Amino acid sequence: MLKMNNISRIYQTDTIQTHALRDFSLNVKAGEFVAVTGPSGSGKSTFLNVAGLLDNFDRGQYELDGVSVQGLKDDELSRLRNEKIGFIFQNYNLIPDYSIFDNVDMPLRYRGFNARERKRRVEEALEKVGLASRLKYLPSQLSGGQQQRVAIARALAGEPKILLADEPTGNLDSLMARQVMEILHDLNKGGATIIMVTHDPDQAREVSRNVQVIDGQLADFRIYAPLERAEGNTEKTAVVSAEVADA
Amino acid sequence: MNINALLKSLLLRKFTTGLLILQLSITLGLLVNSVILALDTRAGIARDTGMDNENILIVSLNPTSGNYRDLDYYRSIVSEDLVKLKALTGVVNVSLANQLPISYRGNTANVYDLDDPDRARIDPYLQYVKIMMTNENLGNTLALALLEGRFLTKDDQRDFGSEGNGNVVITESLKKALYGEKSALGHETNRGHIVGVIKDILFNPTVPDDKQYGIFSNGIMEYIFRGSYYLLNVEPGQMSAVRKQVSATILKVQAERDIFKIFTMTEHMQSFYRDDKGLSELFLMLCGLMVFVTAISSYAYSQFHISRQKKYIGIRRALGARKKDILLYVLTENWLVYAIGCLLGIGMTLAFNILLSQYISLSKPDMMLFLLASAIIFVAGTLATLLPAIQTSNIPPVIATRTV
Amino acid sequence: MRSASMFSYNLSLAIQSFKRAPTLYFLIMLTLSIGVGVLCANLALVNSMASNPIPEKSDTLIHISMNTWPEDNPPDEQPLYILRYRDAMKISESGIGIRSAVFYASGVYARDAESKSMKRFDSAVRATTPGFFKLSNAPFAYGSAFEKSHGMEIVIGDELNQKIFAGENSVGKVLELDGELLTIVGVLKPWTLRPLFYHATDGHAFSLTDDIYAPLETAMDLNWSIHARSSSTDNYTHVAQTRDRDVYYLQAWLELPSSNDRQALQSYLDNYSKSLKVAGQHPLAIRNELHDVTEWLVVNKVVDHKILAFTLASILFLFVCVFNASSLLLSRFHAAKFEVGLRRALGASNRHMLMQGLTESVLLGLFTGIVSLLLSWLFLKLSVSFLPDLANIAILEPKVLLLGMLIALLTSVASALYPLYRANRYTISAELK
Repeated sequence: MLKMNNISRIYQTDTIQTHALRDFSLNVKAGEFVAVTGPSGSGKSTFLNVAGLLDNFDRGQYELDGVSVQGLKDDELSRLRNEKIGFIFQNYNLIPDYSIFDNVDMPLRYRGFNARERKRRVEEALEKVGLASRLKYLPSQLSGGQQQRVAIARALAGEPKILLADEPTGNLDSLMARQVMEILHDLNKGGATIIMVTHDPDQAREVSRNVQVIDGQLADFRIYAPLERAEGNTEKTAVVSAEVADA
Repeated sequence: MNINALLKSLLLRKFTTGLLILQLSITLGLLVNSVILALDTRAGIARDTGMDNENILIVSLNPTSGNYRDLDYYRSIVSEDLVKLKALTGVVNVSLANQLPISYRGNTANVYDLDDPDRARIDPYLQYVKIMMTNENLGNTLALALLEGRFLTKDDQRDFGSEGNGNVVITESLKKALYGEKSALGHETNRGHIVGVIKDILFNPTVPDDKQYGIFSNGIMEYIFRGSYYLLNVEPGQMSAVRKQVSATILKVQAERDIFKIFTMTEHMQSFYRDDKGLSELFLMLCGLMVFVTAISSYAYSQFHISRQKKYIGIRRALGARKKDILLYVLTENWLVYAIGCLLGIGMTLAFNILLSQYISLSKPDMMLFLLASAIIFVAGTLATLLPAIQTSNIPPVIATRTV
Repeated sequence: MRSASMFSYNLSLAIQSFKRAPTLYFLIMLTLSIGVGVLCANLALVNSMASNPIPEKSDTLIHISMNTWPEDNPPDEQPLYILRYRDAMKISESGIGIRSAVFYASGVYARDAESKSMKRFDSAVRATTPGFFKLSNAPFAYGSAFEKSHGMEIVIGDELNQKIFAGENSVGKVLELDGELLTIVGVLKPWTLRPLFYHATDGHAFSLTDDIYAPLETAMDLNWSIHARSSSTDNYTHVAQTRDRDVYYLQAWLELPSSNDRQALQSYLDNYSKSLKVAGQHPLAIRNELHDVTEWLVVNKVVDHKILAFTLASILFLFVCVFNASSLLLSRFHAAKFEVGLRRALGASNRHMLMQGLTESVLLGLFTGIVSLLLSWLFLKLSVSFLPDLANIAILEPKVLLLGMLIALLTSVASALYPLYRANRYTISAELK
């Protein structure tokens, strides 16, 4: 699904050259849930930007869903982002002037779907995160957790090949963080490929694979057993839905 | 493009958007009305005068010495002037008159048929008929078109102390006012016996076309002290040559004369509209400034808006918007503002037209002009926003992952 | 002391702010000063046109319009503002009021009778009764007015005196006017009447004062032609013939002891008209009208409607400029909101911030004022080049300059009001997070 081979990203200022990524290689298979951890400044943000085609890289090869991205034009990169990647950001990145519906709808417009198709997808995605009843709300009228769920819905609506989550629970309290994690796990179980940057070791342990970035390189490589608490999770998801329904 | 969402986000910054829309509509209102003013003036200048404008040269002059108080002397000098002017190469005909056509004021009097003196009560314009005292050469000099009878002849000339009324020629509209469709020949008016009718010439541009009343008599030799305009019909192509010699020719006959001005009928027409033209130019200048200021505003508006939207543009890019999508997004947003501004501008144009009409005469606005002015606003606005829009589309998607 | 140092602190902050965004402030200043400049140029014109040329007695100088037309088809619906010789003389000799002036406009060519040069100067003539000079407060430089309506005596204006006698005292010199010799008894100082109230009709409201003032009867006897409107039912070949014919061309003014005496004058005129009517010389309704200077200028619409229309447009334009400045300032303040937040957090009160903003806009207003005064001078020149008739009234009086300055300050502050209000609403915490 995602293949990075000896990627280097160098930031050059007048005096200093910083290797944000140094010969970084990673291979993520379809259906994996990968947690990327590491101390601040380790390069994990750069990794996410490069992986998400938000930033370019200086050396190496990167193949996303069978497409080699080196040398692609800006417009082609935009299309890849739109079709293959779903982003979930730490601070949700919803557009405050737009309603929930319009927020989820926005990337679909760039895809060129017609109105009916967009409506169907938006409603379906919001249904998945339990916010189908809030179409007309503005982001500011929702709690942080709800906003992040809208962001997840926005990521899902385009049916991406891969979800990139950047500290998705970083701005949330533990309960809300839990709810968001449940959703991600559910999605993964449903077959979604997820790469999540996090600093929370607990979250990292829950996923199928944890990679650690230190000084722009892959430092460690651990494979965790697939989740054992699947049943318990389902229960909790049910609770989440119930809470959403009466809010 | 999600117009609904756009409108909603415009509503969220009503103050700045409102200001810009107001500016746009005022600019549009002024622009349309200024263009109307300019077109009105142009139409006025281009109006048919019924005369051979290009080839008529006018000299306005006054004697300066007391010798001219002797009217026989005055007359002899004028007669010699006319002979000498006629002899100039390129001069076809020469005449003189007490006043010029195409003027607001002038020598006017009431005219009525002796058998029907009450008609003037129905038509007040009959109180202000232009009285042209001239000689028999005026018809050829101005190239007047004869409709009935004959023009004035040497025999019609009046002398000092002539008794009774002489023969007169009248304009077509005066004939219609006095006699309708019937012939005017042989009728007796309070100003003389009608021997001819000519096609209208433009006596006063501020009155309607069918009220160009004028009456011509061969009376200038009697009232020689009123003959302050010499009129020359000049061969095509000879105008500038003739023009240069006129002053010297007249002063050579007798030097004690003040020659105010030498001008063609075309220039006379232009000077009649000089103030209107000046005003319309002032208005156009103001429009230019206004478009300039409004363009600055459009620029500032989008710049300001973009500086606040930088992050969201980054998000859009991250979620798959191409550069041209962003460009279109920014431009659409501005176009929407212009469209609303232009819509409001219709009202502003009408209001401004009504308001200005209280002070000056002005045609009603028409749709074509309005569309044209809107197009100017759109083009100027788009040019002004293009730079910020391009800058915006260059915002990198990576902004989206930065926490501010 | 504290407020003084606060003021200078605010001043230095304002200057820093200008330095930080020079283009933006330049644009604000430019647009505002163009707006103010255009308006100010127009106001200068309107001011000239609407001013009172003789404020000390504008309410006791009365212009007379009468209805004595001998036939039932008068040329105007209104009573005529031009009078017949015998009507005008009747009023002038009635003894009503302190003094009267009866006159018509003419023109002659003038030269110094003793000069070798035959060059003659085209001169505007006021053929008038002697009361004119005191009535209009004509300022004498040398000599005095003529005392009778007869006699070969004249008073000349400063401009003609400059042209012919280089500004010397020319009392006693003789001018040749259209072949006649008349002696100068008085020379006026430079005399500006704006508008020319005594001849506000026929588009002469902004003509200059006359070159030559001649006794009325003399001018008529010399057949000096009538250079303003005349209406008549009789023909005439010589101006002297108009004394006993129905030729209307004289204007008449009376100076009353006080504006309360108008009623007496009105009754006198109405009685006079009645007597004409009784004698069968006047078939129309009795309608005589009196106007003081101010009323007369209004009746004659001396304030050019073209200029009023353009003033209207320039007011709108100024609005556009203010809107523009406002949105520019909004973006400036938005960019500086971090600083505002910081200052607020460090103890600046809302009032402080407001004062700081106001200091900045007042300073901006001062700059704008200076530039706009220059621009208004420029626009005035431009207006005159488009409308040459305005040349005599395109004058920037100190009053107008002051007004321009005030408008500049006002617009500058007005443009800053909303942006300031917005800036002060940015919450401290939000900006410093």
